[in-house]
Amino acid sequence: MEVLKVESLSKDYGRIKALKGVSFSVPEGVVFGVLGPNGSGKTTLLGIIVDILKPTSGSFSLFGEKPEARHRKKIGTLLETPNFYHYLTGEQNLLINASIKGRGSNDIDRVLKLVNLDTRRHSKFSTYSLGMKQRLAIAAAMLGNPDILLFDEPTNGLDPVGIAEIRSLIKELHQQGKTIIMASHLLDEVEKVCTHVAVLKKGDLIVHGNVDEIFSTNDMVELAATNKSTLVSVLNSLSGIVNVKEEENGIVIASFPKGTADLANINKHCFENGVVLNKLNLKRQSLESKFFELTN
Amino acid sequence: MKELLKTEWLKLKDYNVFKIIVILFAVGVIGANYVVYIFNKKVIQAANTGGLVPSFGPYNFDHTWQTTSYVTGFILLIPAFLLIILATNEYTYKTHRQNIIDGQSRREFIWVKMMVALIFTLASTIWVFLTALTFGLFSGTSFSFNGFAHIGFFFLKALSYNLFAIMLSVWIRRTGFAIGLFFIYLGAENILSQLLDVWSVQLRNDEGVNLGALGNYLPMNASDGLLTFPDNPMKTITASAMPTDYPWIVAAFAVLYLYVFFRISMNKVLNTDL
Repeated sequence: MEVLKVESLSKDYGRIKALKGVSFSVPEGVVFGVLGPNGSGKTTLLGIIVDILKPTSGSFSLFGEKPEARHRKKIGTLLETPNFYHYLTGEQNLLINASIKGRGSNDIDRVLKLVNLDTRRHSKFSTYSLGMKQRLAIAAAMLGNPDILLFDEPTNGLDPVGIAEIRSLIKELHQQGKTIIMASHLLDEVEKVCTHVAVLKKGDLIVHGNVDEIFSTNDMVELAATNKSTLVSVLNSLSGIVNVKEEENGIVIASFPKGTADLANINKHCFENGVVLNKLNLKRQSLESKFFELTN
Repeated sequence: MKELLKTEWLKLKDYNVFKIIVILFAVGVIGANYVVYIFNKKVIQAANTGGLVPSFGPYNFDHTWQTTSYVTGFILLIPAFLLIILATNEYTYKTHRQNIIDGQSRREFIWVKMMVALIFTLASTIWVFLTALTFGLFSGTSFSFNGFAHIGFFFLKALSYNLFAIMLSVWIRRTGFAIGLFFIYLGAENILSQLLDVWSVQLRNDEGVNLGALGNYLPMNASDGLLTFPDNPMKTITASAMPTDYPWIVAAFAVLYLYVFFRISMNKVLNTDL
């Protein structure tokens, strides 16, 4: 079943087009990353899904149905900033969240412990640090153990320990079979936790699908030899090679399909053709450079 | 609806500002009326020993409903401001978004705000009723329901103020601006209303057209105009200069404006980005 299906969704803020006809769908049980640089439309997209923003055109469905308020009660959501009543305590705030979700208050203990806020449950929200506020927001999203989670920059404002905790929480939720949709501008976050990804750039959906396929990276081999031009022509005669590129500093980069670069074979081939290598090094294309390739 | 109201109650019950303003208003109603009561008794009636004007007790039965409603009308801004604070808090804390995210529909969000405004109105009306009753009984006259319609007019005025407060809150979103605009609007409407009243006197005198005091057909004045100090010997003299009032037409206008406030608030919340 498709948990979320987005169809040619557009959103204009006056003359600014924040989303331009974005379509994709999220299957059940995946960790779906919405990746893009700042201002690419990630938050706008999530805002429309939870009905705090109205799309200019297009539509979406939740659980295969026309979206309604009752669907949102089954989705745990964490948007950009934690939104709570400053004059109430953490626990009193969660009681309000639970009341709206129609969940009763018996789950509050569990979620407070989950985010390590148990000891500060009776402190006013206004006294919380940024990280604690973010933790409370995560606790609110986890209320009632929803099957779908919607996270917008979930590690925002957390310290390295907190970030690691949230990432392992997301992985754990994924293992429990939950569907997680998260927006992030952090590539390595998406690489570490997501199974699927949609890449947005200035409101356009550039690419979407399985993370391994999208970020499928070639094997890159760095080579150098005294005679660079001979090296290039010898490499080009090698079977299975995708691309040969001359870099500065006399280095040549040869690309092979993922997992097929055989250094011994390359070395042998070069030597047999009269080229003695003084550098031979396998490196994978960085996600960073792939991201720039996708978004530029 | 019960669940929605329960959620609103969770937001209120530990909010000190809420408690303080409620107490302020409850005490204020008694205080304001007591000032009028004692001023009339100790100053006006004491000076009126020669019997030049017939003696008049604003809190005697028949009058107490009207006087209490009229006097309390002056501090109706207090519950209206409380509603502005509560509704704009949602925007300040962005909890209006969180409520929707958690699964309230936009319609429920604004609907329950209207319900809270209605509950505030009912509560203040009941409080005015009890105050009027107590002052009436203390004034030593025998109980009567005559003039009880003024409690209804009070209800209408309170509801107008409260729905207007909700409308300003959802459009302006900022507590200070919304309260400021409430004051500015009341002032501006009063000026306009005075001008219209002068014009309606001219209309009556010069053209023989009697449309009532036209100022009373404006949004806030419609419910306001229904609440007046009881007719008394002093007032009769000035009243004759004014065009005849049409209370039921004014009341109809007041109800119409309530609907307008309601629609404008609904449209804003249902159809725009939060």
